[in-house]
Amino acid sequence: MTSANMGIPSAEFLASVRDALGRADAPPENAYEPLTDDLATLENRAIEVRERIAGELPELSRRLGETAALRGWNVTRCAGVEETLDYVVSLARRLGATSVPRSEQSVFDDVPVDAALAGVGALCWPAVYDGPDSREGIRRRLADSSMGITGADYAIAETGSVIVLPRRGLSRLVSVVPPVHVAIVRQSDIIGTLDDLFALRRLEYHQNGQSGTADMGSYLNFITGPSRTADIEQTIVVGVHGPREVHMVLLDEE
Amino acid sequence: MSQPPPVRASLFVTCIIDQLYPEVGVSVVRVLRRHGVDVDFPEGQSCCGQPLYNSGFTQEARRLAIRTLDALAGSDYVVVPSGSCGAMMRVFYEDLFADDAENLERAQQLGSRVYEFTEFLAKVLGVADDVTGDDAAGGDATGSEKVTYHPSCHLLREMRVRESPRRLLSGCSGVALVDLPEAEQCCGFGGTFAVKYPHISEEMLADKLATITQSGADTITACDMGCLMHIGGAISRQNLPVSVRHIAQILDGEQA
Amino acid sequence: MAEVVTRQFVPASQAAVKDVQLRQALRRAGSGFDGTRREAIAEVSEEVWEGWREQARKIKEHTIGHLDYYLAMLERNVAAAGGQVHFARDARQANAIVSEIARRNGVKTVTKSKSMVSEELGLNHVLEANGIDVFETDLGEYIIQLAEETPSHLVAPALHKTRGQVAQLFAEQLGVPYSEDIEEMARVARVALRQKFLEADMGVSGANFLVAETGSLVIITNEGNGRLCTSAPRIHVGLAGMEKVIPSLQDLAVFLRLLPRSATGQRISSYVSMVTGPKRAEDEDGPEEFHLIIVDNGRSRLLRDPALRESLYCIRCGACLNVCPIYQRVGGHAYGWVYPGPIGSIVTPGLVGVAEAKDLPNASTLCGACRDACPVQINIPRMLLHLRHQQAESNDENERTSSDTDKLLARGFANVMSSPLLLKLGRTVGRAVSKPLAKSGKIGETRLPLISRWTQARDLPVPAERSFRQRWRDELSKDGR
Repeated sequence: MTSANMGIPSAEFLASVRDALGRADAPPENAYEPLTDDLATLENRAIEVRERIAGELPELSRRLGETAALRGWNVTRCAGVEETLDYVVSLARRLGATSVPRSEQSVFDDVPVDAALAGVGALCWPAVYDGPDSREGIRRRLADSSMGITGADYAIAETGSVIVLPRRGLSRLVSVVPPVHVAIVRQSDIIGTLDDLFALRRLEYHQNGQSGTADMGSYLNFITGPSRTADIEQTIVVGVHGPREVHMVLLDEE
Repeated sequence: MSQPPPVRASLFVTCIIDQLYPEVGVSVVRVLRRHGVDVDFPEGQSCCGQPLYNSGFTQEARRLAIRTLDALAGSDYVVVPSGSCGAMMRVFYEDLFADDAENLERAQQLGSRVYEFTEFLAKVLGVADDVTGDDAAGGDATGSEKVTYHPSCHLLREMRVRESPRRLLSGCSGVALVDLPEAEQCCGFGGTFAVKYPHISEEMLADKLATITQSGADTITACDMGCLMHIGGAISRQNLPVSVRHIAQILDGEQA
Repeated sequence: MAEVVTRQFVPASQAAVKDVQLRQALRRAGSGFDGTRREAIAEVSEEVWEGWREQARKIKEHTIGHLDYYLAMLERNVAAAGGQVHFARDARQANAIVSEIARRNGVKTVTKSKSMVSEELGLNHVLEANGIDVFETDLGEYIIQLAEETPSHLVAPALHKTRGQVAQLFAEQLGVPYSEDIEEMARVARVALRQKFLEADMGVSGANFLVAETGSLVIITNEGNGRLCTSAPRIHVGLAGMEKVIPSLQDLAVFLRLLPRSATGQRISSYVSMVTGPKRAEDEDGPEEFHLIIVDNGRSRLLRDPALRESLYCIRCGACLNVCPIYQRVGGHAYGWVYPGPIGSIVTPGLVGVAEAKDLPNASTLCGACRDACPVQINIPRMLLHLRHQQAESNDENERTSSDTDKLLARGFANVMSSPLLLKLGRTVGRAVSKPLAKSGKIGETRLPLISRWTQARDLPVPAERSFRQRWRDELSKDGR
């Protein structure tokens, strides 16, 4: 496992950087502004962000849909759970999907995709590892699946991005290995801008820090449209190593 | 009745115009005088030092820069018919004298008084204020001379002069300004670059010539004789039917 | 370290300007990237864009000015998240660290997402020499790895290759039927690499940004290969030049706005992935070990010189390449090392040594298009001038480019221009010498050294009969008002 650092000791490396800068070993004379935020400041900012988002929600939702479509998402607005399920089922049917991995997130408590897909003969299953032995098996099943479904931890109106925070119940691979990805976005997931996202994440990070376990989570992923490349003659091709087709289902809760 | 005192300006003619293209300097003087400017020519001037500075010879460049500072010390305004030399005085002198407080101050002082020729006409004299856009000279262009304009790099990106040359040309009778495709691409002169890396310079020049031909212009103009010597040298070599004139010559109404 | 052939700039660029296919490829890419970049700027308005550039520059200025402090913060927070930071003075050290991590873990297969630093280190060759299979997974990188070439552009490594050349390469190396269909070629790469992603023991990535506050590594990609490389293998090794750190997570927002727009004109890339340490115990998947290797490899030389320091603000978007008239004629390979174009002409002499790369700062017209395109307002022309000055007047003979003749010429020019008498004499001599060469006032083709480099394509004017100053005295000063 991990052991001592290799290369040169950090103290030596940092001293050489200081020497190049002609600087003493000291913090910046003028403290850098975002880093001086205390917890109260971060909390207030997060409250402001949340309040502003709540006040602008219909507009943000509209902008999210508009921007996401420009970025290559297939955007669908569903009035409720039934419509959402119908959409997912019709998609699975079109793809002839028999195996549909999904994450284990709270959205699926409200939107019972397993049952709906079972109705058309597709097995929808949570990609949850059951000890190290299941790892290879799950990966193989993921690789053989034609679509994967996740919720969204956030969806950003500014960029048309869905943010997923892989963790227990949410494999990193569900949204990248199958050739089609469906993200179900609830109203409560929608935020306005990149700044909103980072304000909220910073609060969470530093709040954790108060309890001695400052943790960002191991991974944070922005997904914005399909996988694409333009590496040959600047010609855009979608679906290189990730999904060629991505669907954003905007669930307007009843 | 008292008239406002005339604007007084010193001409910094640039060494290339002084030695190779004096007629351009003559046109500059005529245009300025026509607009009521009291023009003088401080004889202590020669080269601003840019060719040396661009080649890395800063010590020698400083000698010439100091001469230039001396020569132009008493001027209200300094008018330079070159974006390149103007940029040297306004922008690069500050770098050149970064470690020389006394001359730095003089350089900054000079920098605030230096104007490129068309910039001076537009900003200080307000010439072409009534010309509203690039299309101003459009309409009936029959019988007009079709002129296209190459914005030289230092004028555009160091002195930040983009509009005034085009507006002045638009307001010029007998001139129909036509667009130059990919106008803001460098012509490949770059001073000694043209002889240090002729294979690259010539490619850039060939593209510039192609766009000039494409524009359908009778005349190519610019605010810098360096670029025009480069472009014109190739036009002459290839016997292209395009005349090459500094913008001052066009504004002076001198016929091609 | 990757092979340095920067001394070959002149012959390499002479060959490049004659390469018709290369020119077409460069034209397509340059105008394509730059066109979409301009559209993306227009969409948010010039004013907003300038605000972002200001903001980004301030962040970089502050961070690079206190680099040791933020690297220390980064190290602490990576460690707090369960990862490890290793510092490497040079390429040899960095390669040794990666090799050692691989050896300890019995690594057989490595998948890589795009990393310019790994190109700089020449990492693949070192790993391969240790018997490890290395697969580049970014399509462009995969192509040049198969072709055994180096990248020719910061964001589009295989920009110099036409579809026909790629089709030929795939047919030869992968045994697939020849097809110029680009979608088909992308599919071939997908199939070839899919299994490698899942069986690799170690994933290697670069880093677009490192966030000191949270100890996070950020990569920005489009294909999804970066996500797979950092998620599927047991070990993730991130490689980063030491200048990549930014202080706060909040600072990331402006760079996520600037980088994709500047690079490809995209408003945001398909994927932005932020890695903070290895997988947590409760996570479904992710690497068990996370190593971050911070590389100096000559960067402290750039840091030490206040005039060159801002070259470390670069976010490797490639915008300066796309607008550079020189890069657009000669392509990336002519520059002779990993970082081409305007920014490469600063960074390369810094990293491989000024004496190795004398042509690079000189092969520019100082047109300034690079500075205007730069999302962090790096003043590239000013640094080129600084390097030229170093070359012309350096006390180190290896670094000096100017010959004694150059110096004499420079001094001679300054002397002539400083003395009315010499100037007059000079022009008399000039006219006398040029007269026999000239026809109707111009010098055409000639064999005279130096002058011939001008006259091979352009006529040269001879000094006028009367200088301007003469005419001023003769005719102009008198009719003054």
